[in-house]
Amino acid sequence: MRVLLVEDDAEMADTLRASLAEDEHEVDHAGDGETGESMALNGGYDVIVLDRMLPKKQGVAIVRDLREKGVSTPVLILSALHDEDHRVEGLNAGANDYLGKPFSTRELLARVRALWHGRDRGPQTQLRVGDLEMDLLARTVKRDGKKLDLQPREFRLLEYLMRHSGQTVTRKMLLENVWDYHFDPQTNVIDVHISRLRSKIDRDFAQTLLHTVRGSGYRLEG
Amino acid sequence: MRPRLDSLLRTTTFRLALVQAGVVLSFVVLMLGYVYFATAGQLIRDSDALADQEYATLERAYAEGGMRRLNQEVVERAARQGPFLYVLAENNGTVVTGDFQQLPATPGETPERVAFNFERLDETGAPARGRASGRIGRLLNGPILLVARDLGDSAVIAGRITRVLFTVALVGVVVSIVSGFIAAGQAARLAEGLSNTAREVMAGDLSRRAPVRGSGDEFDELAGSMNAMLDRIEQLVQTTRTAGDAIAHDLRSPLTRFRQKLEVALERPADSAADREALRNALDEADRVLDMFSAVLKLARVEAAGNWRLERVDASEILRELVEFYEPAAEEQGRTLRGHVEDGLLLRGEHGLFTQAVSNLIENALKYTPEGGNVEVRAVRRPDGRIEIDVLDDGPGVPPAERDKVLERFVRLETARSTPGVGLGLSLVSAVARLHKGGLHLRDGLSNGERRGLGAALVLPAMAAR
Repeated sequence: MRVLLVEDDAEMADTLRASLAEDEHEVDHAGDGETGESMALNGGYDVIVLDRMLPKKQGVAIVRDLREKGVSTPVLILSALHDEDHRVEGLNAGANDYLGKPFSTRELLARVRALWHGRDRGPQTQLRVGDLEMDLLARTVKRDGKKLDLQPREFRLLEYLMRHSGQTVTRKMLLENVWDYHFDPQTNVIDVHISRLRSKIDRDFAQTLLHTVRGSGYRLEG
Repeated sequence: MRPRLDSLLRTTTFRLALVQAGVVLSFVVLMLGYVYFATAGQLIRDSDALADQEYATLERAYAEGGMRRLNQEVVERAARQGPFLYVLAENNGTVVTGDFQQLPATPGETPERVAFNFERLDETGAPARGRASGRIGRLLNGPILLVARDLGDSAVIAGRITRVLFTVALVGVVVSIVSGFIAAGQAARLAEGLSNTAREVMAGDLSRRAPVRGSGDEFDELAGSMNAMLDRIEQLVQTTRTAGDAIAHDLRSPLTRFRQKLEVALERPADSAADREALRNALDEADRVLDMFSAVLKLARVEAAGNWRLERVDASEILRELVEFYEPAAEEQGRTLRGHVEDGLLLRGEHGLFTQAVSNLIENALKYTPEGGNVEVRAVRRPDGRIEIDVLDDGPGVPPAERDKVLERFVRLETARSTPGVGLGLSLVSAVARLHKGGLHLRDGLSNGERRGLGAALVLPAMAAR
């Protein structure tokens, strides 16, 4: 997968480029906003990772212009400014995800993958992972044809995991997308929610679908 | 320390004094004009009217009896030693008869007003100077007639009045300039006192205060405001300094450990398991430092209240979701978390900050409640219309004397040193409460045997119900 990285801090850019390359992405790098934008316009990239504060042209302005010119490549903005209004501004400009600095490399890699998988699937009414089925209209979940009883929040948690099946999903991604919380809880709150969900979907079955990825998060895989 | 003259000339007070002198001068000039008009001017106008009458009488005599009759009248009237002075002259100006040997003025085409100084012998034969005013004109066929009235003493009096007024005006202007200088000097000295204080504060001595003389005037008031401002600044600087010291202290420890672990790992022979462990530890320390930085930055941004957009926030919904969010983890750890939340509690607030503030309180309560303990979240609309959100626990609580202290930045009671956290949680909650125009109060919580518990009450103004 081809990733365009627009980041002016050379050391940071080198580290990110190395991590992305290790995760089997092909990475091009631009050191300022204008170069980044013209590369994005000519590019054929799968995902663009954009620093918010860049020389020559700011990240948010670049996304806005790209969207105006019809470029729909998924964009992830990296920023030291990540209060609610900053994030909303970035997402409103057309970015698909917003990650505050400092972040862990695993977090970034998980989100880049999620962006690429998440694009252009269109509206779905049925989700399926292995023998697990979710009907988004009837709001029902079945495994191996047997109906599972989920709380509304558990349903949303599972929906997010199913939409990103096969990928690693971090705790932070779950917090932001399932609960819309943008702070780090100090306790293992997410883990407990996951283990409750796991007990509902995996307990009576031989094959485990919901896996813990050590140090990163979780993965739902059939 | 006398203010120098050029700086004195620039002072506002001195400029005001100059303006005042100008006003005094204009007033005196107007007064002078009026007094002149009312006294000397009136005298002259009266005598001119009489002279006009006399002139008209003589003009009639000329019309009736010609030059001969007129000459006779003038001679008779002049001899009578009346108040008038007469001159009758030929067409070419040669005096025929009258009080003067020569015409004191030249006549125009039509009879006109004339005023002149003259010199003549008085009754005792001494030469006397005088001023006269009257009318001069050419009669039919050319003879010239002058009728004037000696202004006598009234002219002298008018002159004196004028001179006195002029002197008074001069003195007034001088006095107002001098008093302006003095007032300006006084004000400049007071201002100098204030600006000296300001300079000393700028030079770094924040404890300096402006002198207050107790006179209650505007300078005292200014000095008072300035001192109040300096008190506030000193307090803020002190807070910042304390916070800065605390950050330095709290950051230095994890950074030092961070460095140490890496150093030790580098110096010993390569051992991949131990090296990885060292790296993991170093990473944890780095995360601690970064968390602390984030917390400090967030707190600073909340305290700079201007940046936030406050919108309609459904507190009931947020609180229920938070309880639902933390409940499983609490249960897992052997604590009970319950919520009693009224419906429809709306406030004007910042969604993310409000959520984080309550989550800090819940986490705090869970953290300090021993296993088997209870945490309760209650939210009600109080009779005074405000919304009160209580997060109560039955843990050890905080002694009343220390409750104010734990709201300060970076303060963690000794008993809390063993638990993780950066000591900014409650400061952030308190700052968020202030941003929402409310407050955070600490009380007793759910008492449980020996333990009194801690109750954190967030009291915020409700949004007006529609």
